[in-house]
Amino acid sequence: MTSCTDSDLQSLCLRGVGGVLADQYYLIAHEDRTGRSRLHPRATGLGLAAALIGELILEGRVGVADGDLIILDRHPPTDALAHDILDLLVAQPRHRDVRTWLAFLSQDAALRVGERLMRLGAVEPVTRRRMLSTQTLYMPNSAEQRNAAAWAPARLANLLVRGVEMNVSDRVLVGLIAATGLTRHVLYDFEMHRHAFQSLPNAVDSLPGDLRELVEYTEASVGSVLTVGRR
Amino acid sequence: MARKELAEPDIVGQALAKNRLGVPSVVFFGVAGAAPLTVIIGAISAIYAIIGSTAVPIAYLVVAGILSLFTIGFVAMSRHIVNSGAFYSYISHGLGRVIGVGAAFVALPAYSLMQVGLFGLFGSAASGILSQFGFKTPWYACAIAAWLIVAVLGLLWVDLSGRVLAILLVAEISIVLIYDLVMVSHPANGHVSFATFSPAPLLTPVVGSLLVLAIAGFVGFEATVVLSEEAKDPKRTIARATHWAVGLAGLLCATSAWAMSVTTGPDQIAQVANAHRTDLVFFLVGPHLPVALVDIGYVLFLTSVFAALLAFHAAVARYQFALGREGVLPGAWGRTHPRTGAPLLGSVTQSVLAFGVLSAYAAAHAEPLVYVFAWLTTIGGLGVLILMWATSAAVIGFFAKHRRGENVWRAYLAPLLAFLLLSVVLAATLIGFGELLQVSGSSPFQWLIPVLYLAVAGIGFVWALIMRAARPEVYAAIGRGADGRVSILGDDTQVIRPLHADPVGARGYPY
Repeated sequence: MTSCTDSDLQSLCLRGVGGVLADQYYLIAHEDRTGRSRLHPRATGLGLAAALIGELILEGRVGVADGDLIILDRHPPTDALAHDILDLLVAQPRHRDVRTWLAFLSQDAALRVGERLMRLGAVEPVTRRRMLSTQTLYMPNSAEQRNAAAWAPARLANLLVRGVEMNVSDRVLVGLIAATGLTRHVLYDFEMHRHAFQSLPNAVDSLPGDLRELVEYTEASVGSVLTVGRR
Repeated sequence: MARKELAEPDIVGQALAKNRLGVPSVVFFGVAGAAPLTVIIGAISAIYAIIGSTAVPIAYLVVAGILSLFTIGFVAMSRHIVNSGAFYSYISHGLGRVIGVGAAFVALPAYSLMQVGLFGLFGSAASGILSQFGFKTPWYACAIAAWLIVAVLGLLWVDLSGRVLAILLVAEISIVLIYDLVMVSHPANGHVSFATFSPAPLLTPVVGSLLVLAIAGFVGFEATVVLSEEAKDPKRTIARATHWAVGLAGLLCATSAWAMSVTTGPDQIAQVANAHRTDLVFFLVGPHLPVALVDIGYVLFLTSVFAALLAFHAAVARYQFALGREGVLPGAWGRTHPRTGAPLLGSVTQSVLAFGVLSAYAAAHAEPLVYVFAWLTTIGGLGVLILMWATSAAVIGFFAKHRRGENVWRAYLAPLLAFLLLSVVLAATLIGFGELLQVSGSSPFQWLIPVLYLAVAGIGFVWALIMRAARPEVYAAIGRGADGRVSILGDDTQVIRPLHADPVGARGYPY
């Protein structure tokens, strides 16, 4: 793997050591060669929505109690997308149910996180013309970008295999990966990654209450969405 | 100066509503699940021929009424528990997990056999149509061709929901209405008789057979609750849509059955049906319609059966997925393909089973319409009837502890009525099951099938008790389904629940 030389890719790599939750999830959840989602698009949307809410929880702006989101702190976070979402949460006090917000945010989460990654320089917009519509995919387009994208799941697998104590952000990421069904992509080699499966449950079990609830509601939402089977 | 407070826009509500289903879409889903054209052309002619009673139209209306009553309690309960659309989760919530697992073990063969039975109908009808064009093909070949397509589509998890289904359904209903009109406008002896609507034959012992065969035609309507999360108004959309679906399907089937009897005359319908079987309707309308309309009818009939095949296949696969995920079946069944969400092992299992059963029938040179279609759908229909009866009891049990905000009619009275009526139907069916299968009095089939269902349920009970002893945390999760009220999880278990797509061993406790 070539070392990251470009300055903002470097910052992405550095941030990968505890990087922005939704960005990491996006890179893991999409194929770098084709930009397609590895999961059912609705499942990816839910995972990204949960990651965005998770970011707000990690920054202490929002909490989860009994299935409801509570605003803890209205000061805007530094990231523009997180600020946007916190604004929405504040502006719509009538809706507090976590699953409602997961469903709502999942509708355009992929697009917005993709745009954020684009501003970082990690992906580029690629327009695909299909039969009846054009589709804009955000995908890594250069060798450096693809390297950085491939690093996201590899780093996680590494941490899990070594059984190292992971920080909260990474544990939430692991939880969301497991909840949406991406585990086999991150831990793709059964032999090499055998130990990683042992540390998986512990990583999620040790999460603080709100994040754990978030992961479980995500899993439940993905389960119901897949049962129905609509696009 | 006082400023008028602007009502804040409900951004979230509007955005979610855009993607949600309204009553018409869910009604389509429910009616499609009941596959009206398959029932009208395939089942009604068989019922007239086999039972020989003229009370078929009234039977469908009565069944629609009973199922409507059942729906009231069923949908009310579905608002309070997880919606996998599977009867067994309702039963496990209302009557306990042991009975719930027994119900699951009854459900699997019931739905499975109904699907395989439809292959017999498809094979027989397709081979008949092809022979009219001069291609002599055995029913088995046609059935296997359909089997192959269903198996592949089942693996790809291609759902015929949405626009394709809507178009097909509209076409089917239009053809049915056209045929009904034609049949009624050419009555035998010149006057239209409503004799087949008389309820008198329902008081004879043949009522059980009629009703269970009619109920078998509605199987699939209960899938509407799967769409609860996708509905615009979770409280009302599903309830309203399911009632509409049951009502529409019942009305269509009853009207068509009556129209058939009008055009042949009530006294002749049984013989004519016996002579023509699935060709009955086409034989009746053929002389009065241009050939094109009859041919379109044939094609739509085949597509309707095919759609029903796919729908049942998906339902069985989904059932196995739900059971696998909860630990009732081995975990391998609870896994889905990450991108499509297809329950792969469940789909494959059903395909293999269907192939085995069809091949066994072909090897035995059995006649497909009677022994594959009629028998298997009757046997499967009995299983579904048992499930519905148990579910109506479960609804009562569920609300008996706590009414949870539903009114008395929905929580107690309607379910009780439904339970009583379904008990009557079930009893009549069990007593007269031999007649349904048209076997002689001394044949073991008189009692074999109900006993087999009892045995299978018994295996389920024993398995549940074993699970309770050996794996209590998994036992505790039965019936909780994809969702899980997180508050329940707190006191139950500290172990992470099975995640639906991870490989064996990922959880750290042995399976």
